[in-house]
Amino acid sequence: MARLDLEKLSKRYGDFFAVRDVSLQIADGEFLVLLGPSGCGKTTTLRMVAGFIEPSDGAVRLGGSDVTVLPPWKRNAGMVFQSYALFPHLSVAQNVAFGLEMRKLPRADIERRVEEALALVRLTGFGGRLPRQLSGGQQQRVALARALAIRPDVLLLDEPLSNLDAKLRQEVRVEIRELQRQLGLTTVMVTHDQEEALTMADRLVVMNEGAVRQVGSQRDLYERPADRFVAGFVGRSTFLDGAVEAPGRFRTDGGLALACAGGMPGRAALALRPERVEIAPSANTNMSGLDNSLPGTVEFVSYLGALIDIHVRLSPQDRLVVQIANRDGGFAPDVGQPVQVGWPAAAGLVFNE
Amino acid sequence: MTDAALARGPVVERRRGEGWTAAALITPASIFVAFCLLAPIAILFRFSLNEFVPSKKLMVEALTVANYVKFFTDPYYTTILATTVRIAVLVTAVCLVLGFPLAYVVARTQSRFKHLLIISIVLPLFVGNAVRAAGWMTVFGNKGFFNATLMGLGVIDQPLEIMFTEKAVVIGIIAVNLPFMVLSLQSVIEGIDRSVEEAAFSLGAPPATMFRRVLWPLALPGVLAGTILTFVLAMNAYATPFLLGGPLFKMMAPLVYNQFTQQSNWPFGGAIAFILMTVTLGLTLMANVIIQRRAAR
Repeated sequence: MARLDLEKLSKRYGDFFAVRDVSLQIADGEFLVLLGPSGCGKTTTLRMVAGFIEPSDGAVRLGGSDVTVLPPWKRNAGMVFQSYALFPHLSVAQNVAFGLEMRKLPRADIERRVEEALALVRLTGFGGRLPRQLSGGQQQRVALARALAIRPDVLLLDEPLSNLDAKLRQEVRVEIRELQRQLGLTTVMVTHDQEEALTMADRLVVMNEGAVRQVGSQRDLYERPADRFVAGFVGRSTFLDGAVEAPGRFRTDGGLALACAGGMPGRAALALRPERVEIAPSANTNMSGLDNSLPGTVEFVSYLGALIDIHVRLSPQDRLVVQIANRDGGFAPDVGQPVQVGWPAAAGLVFNE
Repeated sequence: MTDAALARGPVVERRRGEGWTAAALITPASIFVAFCLLAPIAILFRFSLNEFVPSKKLMVEALTVANYVKFFTDPYYTTILATTVRIAVLVTAVCLVLGFPLAYVVARTQSRFKHLLIISIVLPLFVGNAVRAAGWMTVFGNKGFFNATLMGLGVIDQPLEIMFTEKAVVIGIIAVNLPFMVLSLQSVIEGIDRSVEEAAFSLGAPPATMFRRVLWPLALPGVLAGTILTFVLAMNAYATPFLLGGPLFKMMAPLVYNQFTQQSNWPFGGAIAFILMTVTLGLTLMANVIIQRRAAR
């Protein structure tokens, strides 16, 4: 294992920057997740680390040595592909042995390390099977074993869970994370699934349009998003468009006067997390502890099981999503019902345009 | 689901009546093959056992292997068979070597002009063999385009003897067969996940090793289809050897034609046709078995 440094990495296709000036330091043993919508440059970045794409600019350093122009077969990076990319004509054991044979290890060592790798992913005894005789989850684990068997300097995961069903995905997430910790693997994972990113990462990188928007812990990204994009992409936010009239005073385009924390005077958006907003039936309007307290009408309710999303119309231009826990004797909203919503000024994040 | 259940794969459900639908679908083609292919071959085989008596009425009903004996005991004929096999093998090998890279590029290209690339590969097939061979004649002749250019540039003093040699025939058949090889390979390579190649690279395999260990074994069905097509076409080439090889160069298909039309010797023509068919089939099956056994290891 080794540390990985990306220095001002860029990939340009003509005038279009797929990746622009990405600089990241990934510590030895760290699990870093690149998160972003499709086309944000996260996969291109990963493929530059793997050596499949040559950067237009910048450098990739692996364990202190510059590998920027090294072909993939000289890099010692273990990669798990979205499609698993198992060799369909080789058995599970032959798949795992492939990288070891390339390293010209003695036969006995290869056999021992194949067994070890298969045991690590709980597939002992599956060595003789062909990939097509395995379930999706098992194939995924073979791909992981194959990447781990070569004892890579860095483990690269390209949307490794996106082909698994929802239930299995949750199990495999934990499994990969535990394995990564136990082996102290420097790992870079690419995903567009924020829940996956939040549960697995030591540190997250949010990318959009080829550039890094924010780097930080789960809490950093959620509590202190750097910009409107991050606020909308990590977790959920309702954005109320309007303007900051004076520090602490926000007026929406719908004419609502709201208390907010900070912000420069001018056009801005006020972002609110759905679960930070209180809601109560209109009759019970005691929200005196909150800086903002407004009447509204329930417009839409979506029942999510443990949670309930309530869309509340505040003015012809302003609509807010409120999320409440589904508890016994809790508030059960009906569409069309008048309600009172409220939140402390600090709950609203202001993003100037 | 247990692992064992998964290993068996999906269970194929059969509905009643499906068998009849399938039978109805394959019947027209089966009838066509039976009447238009198998029946003539059977009749031809029967003819090949007849006697040829030029002074009487050419074909005399008999049951003799004399025609086959004549073929295999006369070096004139066995040499023609050997030449045909040699040229077919050479052409197939060259088509495979030239065709694989081309098929790979066509299969992997993300270009908007991919369909144009495919059309340009198929384009030669729009021209009939005879027309194309005639075109080659103007290129390869002693005063043809090829020699005229080389002499004009001062590269050579004497024209290269290409026309009416084996070289011309080989080049001509390769040109005809290459599209078949490329299309067979391309369709199979297209079905190979690109990330499988990348996985091999990331595990430490340089391109040549990746090709040998991953791409080639996975492309094998296409290699087999392509080599069979190319080999069979080359074994049975008629127009190209006839027009480009000239009067002295002999291959099997023109020989068969000659026996039927010039010599009116139907029994011997039938025997040669049957030998050609059997040798082609035998060699194809043999190559198939060898390649597949190798791949299994």
